[in-house]
Amino acid sequence: MSGLFAAHNRIAVVGYAHSDVVRRTAEPLGITALRTARAAIEDAGLTPEQIDGFTSSSLLPSSGEHEAQDGISVVTSDWLAKHLGGHAHYVAGFQGIGQLTGSLSLAISTLASGAADYVLLHRALHNPAGKYNDNPMTEFAGDQQWSAPQGFFGALPAIAMVCNEYCQRYGADRESLADLVVEARKNGARLPWSYWHDKPLTREAYLAEPPINDPMSRLDCDIPVQGVGVFILTTAERARDLPNKPVYISGQGFGYPLHHRIPLHWTLDEMMEAGEGLARRLWESSGLGPGDIDTAQVYDAFSPFVYIWLEVLGFCPVGEAHRFVRDGGIDSDIPESLGALSGGGAIGNGRLHGLPQLLECYLQLSGRAGERQRPTTNAVMSYSAPHFGGAVVLTNDPV
Amino acid sequence: MTNRPLPVPDETSAPYWAACAEHVLKLPRCSSCGEFTLPPDVTCPHCQSPEPDFTFEPVSGRGKVRTWTVIRHSFLSGFEVPFLLVDVELDDQPHIRMVGRLVDGPETPLRIGDRVAVAFEDLSSDIAVPAFTLAGAS
Ligand SMILES: [Zn+2]
Repeated sequence: MSGLFAAHNRIAVVGYAHSDVVRRTAEPLGITALRTARAAIEDAGLTPEQIDGFTSSSLLPSSGEHEAQDGISVVTSDWLAKHLGGHAHYVAGFQGIGQLTGSLSLAISTLASGAADYVLLHRALHNPAGKYNDNPMTEFAGDQQWSAPQGFFGALPAIAMVCNEYCQRYGADRESLADLVVEARKNGARLPWSYWHDKPLTREAYLAEPPINDPMSRLDCDIPVQGVGVFILTTAERARDLPNKPVYISGQGFGYPLHHRIPLHWTLDEMMEAGEGLARRLWESSGLGPGDIDTAQVYDAFSPFVYIWLEVLGFCPVGEAHRFVRDGGIDSDIPESLGALSGGGAIGNGRLHGLPQLLECYLQLSGRAGERQRPTTNAVMSYSAPHFGGAVVLTNDPV
Repeated sequence: MTNRPLPVPDETSAPYWAACAEHVLKLPRCSSCGEFTLPPDVTCPHCQSPEPDFTFEPVSGRGKVRTWTVIRHSFLSGFEVPFLLVDVELDDQPHIRMVGRLVDGPETPLRIGDRVAVAFEDLSSDIAVPAFTLAGAS
């Protein structure tokens, strides 16, 4: 793909709702999702009967031994459409690289092609009882025979190695990581719905936390939670008749692994290399560049991802993100900064797989961010890592 | 010998694990293009051949440390913590990377580019798992 995105500014987000973010609840995830979906539909000035398309991804991202049950621990679009009632005729789950950006892209395609008029996009995350990632297996067959017997298991060891490579190469350290984790928690503490509401983190507390996979500690990872976010999308023409200020999708870019490796072996070079192509497609498709962006909400499920995204998207030179963050480049209290974690991100909300990023872009662009409102015309959000995710540019000023 | 989880060899991996048991690192090599691949796949990731007919051939097992982490909490049972994992780029072919424990111990001072050689950890009478050891400036 090259040049302007064919659906450039033709599809808009017109409403939203999200649940409170809680550590764990007895409420089935489907019930939380249904309540949130109804609220989002009402927010958009619509009724459930008008929603004819549903897209989502429903992966439960834990490496423990948990069985996914639709409506209980995961919620598919299929489940939601069926239980919401109404008249769905296009229902699709995204199965591919980059869950939230992928399912958003599916919603865009659904509307641009005319397969549906109003699409409900949701993401529902559950925190299963018991240990989230601990795994008692004594033998590994299939793909994991190549990694688990060495003790290389789950996402964190690879991310910690990426983080260490970044730190060794560019001179960052835990003092640098403290800058961004404290920023995420500062912003999360200001959000009434966040798991971390009223619980900011001090630099001292961050530095006192022992690493679990050097140089990363628990505080560098988002905490597993239960939470749901729902967005309603439609075409730009239909959006004009609805109550909220539309937020248009300007462009999108995706990344894909470049090398065949053992499971979960993510590398810094691969992220940066795939990120080049992703950023080129993103900016070409949106007709904008990093200099046009007022707020960037970059994915932070693991703290070093923030550095990688800031560099890949061109907000600072490669190797400089840790200094950019230290010098206030993302500080939400500095009006001219990127505010890259102003919505709290994953570290400041909980493990919500990109919802905080998309939500903050939407709220800032629709003028609904309340006390956090910053002057915003163009925004970008990103999800996962550049070789395994995507980024989307949104605007309230379609040209 | 250990409570660490064991690999379950299958028809695509049996020659690899059999060689490891003899403390020899053999990697799958595509019979169409001659490139090494880890892990083997149903097609060759380099030439996309649907009939890669991988042969397992000995490699030097030497390489350089790209990065590392000290695991202080393991999500798997059977591992004594802390231990150190290294991400190694093998000399044998660009882009071939292996992750293994550094048998020199978790406190070993490391720098990016340090030279390592493959070593093996015997987990049972017929299973050994590749690991690495510092190889000095060779
Ligand atoms: Zn080949």
